[in-house]
Amino acid sequence: MTKAQADELSRARMYALLGKLAPLIFLLALVIIFASLQPRFLLPLNLFNILRQVSIYGIIAIGMTFVILIRGIDLSVGAVVAMSGLCAAVVAKGGIEGRFMLSADGSGYHWALAALAAILAGTVAGLLQGMAVAWLSVPAFVVTLGGMTVFRGIALTIGNGGPISGFDEAFGWWGRGMIGPVPVPVLIFAAVALIAWVVLTQTRFGRAVYAVGSNPDAARLSGINVSGVTLSVYALIGFCSGLGGFVLASRLNSAEAVAGTGYELTAIAAVVIGGTSLYGGTGGVAGTVIGALLTGVLLNGLVILNVSPYTQQILVGLIIVAAVAFDHFIKRQSR
Amino acid sequence: MLKRTFLLAASGLALAGALGLPAAAEPKGKDAEVTILVSPLTFAFPHFVFLTDELKDEANKLGGVTVVVADGQLSAPKQIADIEAAIVQGVDGIILAPVEADALAPVVQQAIDAGIAVVTVDRPVNGVPDVLANVAADNFKGAEAQGEAVVKAFPDGATIVNLQGIPGDKTANDRNGGAHKVLDAAGEKYVFVAEQAGNFSRDKGLEVTENILTGLAEVPQVIIAANDDMALGAAQAVDARGLKGKVAIYGYDGSEDALKAVKSGDLAATIDQFPGLQGRTAVSTLVAFIREGTRPESAEVLVAPVAITADNLDQAERVGQIGE
Repeated sequence: MTKAQADELSRARMYALLGKLAPLIFLLALVIIFASLQPRFLLPLNLFNILRQVSIYGIIAIGMTFVILIRGIDLSVGAVVAMSGLCAAVVAKGGIEGRFMLSADGSGYHWALAALAAILAGTVAGLLQGMAVAWLSVPAFVVTLGGMTVFRGIALTIGNGGPISGFDEAFGWWGRGMIGPVPVPVLIFAAVALIAWVVLTQTRFGRAVYAVGSNPDAARLSGINVSGVTLSVYALIGFCSGLGGFVLASRLNSAEAVAGTGYELTAIAAVVIGGTSLYGGTGGVAGTVIGALLTGVLLNGLVILNVSPYTQQILVGLIIVAAVAFDHFIKRQSR
Repeated sequence: MLKRTFLLAASGLALAGALGLPAAAEPKGKDAEVTILVSPLTFAFPHFVFLTDELKDEANKLGGVTVVVADGQLSAPKQIADIEAAIVQGVDGIILAPVEADALAPVVQQAIDAGIAVVTVDRPVNGVPDVLANVAADNFKGAEAQGEAVVKAFPDGATIVNLQGIPGDKTANDRNGGAHKVLDAAGEKYVFVAEQAGNFSRDKGLEVTENILTGLAEVPQVIIAANDDMALGAAQAVDARGLKGKVAIYGYDGSEDALKAVKSGDLAATIDQFPGLQGRTAVSTLVAFIREGTRPESAEVLVAPVAITADNLDQAERVGQIGE
């Protein structure tokens, strides 16, 4: 190897490393800018605020990473969040006064049953959509676009359009509680991210997800059950949305049919900012966590600086595009 | 109902006479069967669910009135399609809370040309003079009442956080404008220390308030919100920071949850626009016209919004729903 070749190689390696770190670099740059404009941005209180605010759609974005890795998309997550939140609320309240009762004496159930109801509702919703995608070969965009209105409609029906509010302390702990200085939703988000990372990088299922995303036909020929993987991935994002719905209901002390509006785009943005390709096959959970944090930092920082809500929308759009452009630029240098 | 007194212009169905106004169709007769389409903005807002429920109840009381409900889903095309379908079905009347004042105007004109009477509720359509009536509460006036409630509770001035609705939305702009008009006029001792959009939602209201509270060096005295959901989200954030009772929070809409919160002291006040009364007035006005050709005295039937605090909780329309 000549010296020139060696230089070329190390340059490519450096850019490859930078490519992996591109979203993180962009995140740090944003943090530095906000902190220099408003020192209160770096208060531990504020940093935990950001983490707490990020955690619910972060959980969903983790699920979305799997979906996008297999070249899919899920537009229904916001609606599933609302629906499963209301399921949890109904169970926790033991029914809705004057409409229907689940328990004989009208008393509510334990938070664990409420959480189970939310997660079950979410998983079933995901599974049903997965079936339509995997077995009927309906494009995921269409299936989940339909799901978006179906589940929002179910949510409206459950709550008759109104919110269900006021849960006991134990229920509220999952959204508002703290362990030491750390909010509980942040820990849930961290746990989900960690488990997802292990699954994606260390298991056969994880490798199958990448294989299906890179080339579904090749995956099928090499003996991977493509339908099975697809089904599981949609069930998984349903699970994440259900969990998210429970945590959101707990955090707001209220479940309502309008909850989670727009979460689908925030989750997709977090995944894409984190470097996962919309064409499937490349990316991962670590990037999504960074992507979610970046979105959270952006929204928090602009509010803390009291930027006009009109200007905020312009800045958010520009910065998101800039973040992805930066990522692509660095990655192109490494080729 | 008690709130009848809040009708400014007579919702009264006194004969206005046929003062040269062309009746679109002959009156159908006193006990005629009447079918009407009701197209509220969206059922995602409890405000419109309650309005529609009360409207249906009033229709039941009138008797012989079939109400067909189509959810507007915050979409003008959806509403236009629903109204076009209703024209084809040949309904007698339409009650509409238009998603967009301009976009709905042509189809409303089309319905009127087809001999269908139209009443708008909550908000008007633009440029269709033949609409029978617009039954609404003025958001701008309601927000003025909100501002006045702040001035009354804080005569020496206050630092104020303003949670606005969806940027660009008419209701959001009116409510923001009304509050500003009163509080800006009240003098420099009323200072807006932060103004942010909470998009009318509880989770966004909570998040934005958390961020604002962290960003401000001093705890604000007042938070005003353009709807109850954001106010309740803000109350959640204030409580989490251990500031409960130190910040007076003002909501808007008189929703069930907000009335509970006013009762418990979590909210200082909410503004009631009496959606139930609006719904009832809309249907009685419409049916009276279809059956007997009676027009309301004025095409603008305004309901005056009232600030509900712990002192006048019994004036709230939905107070019966919050229990003891």
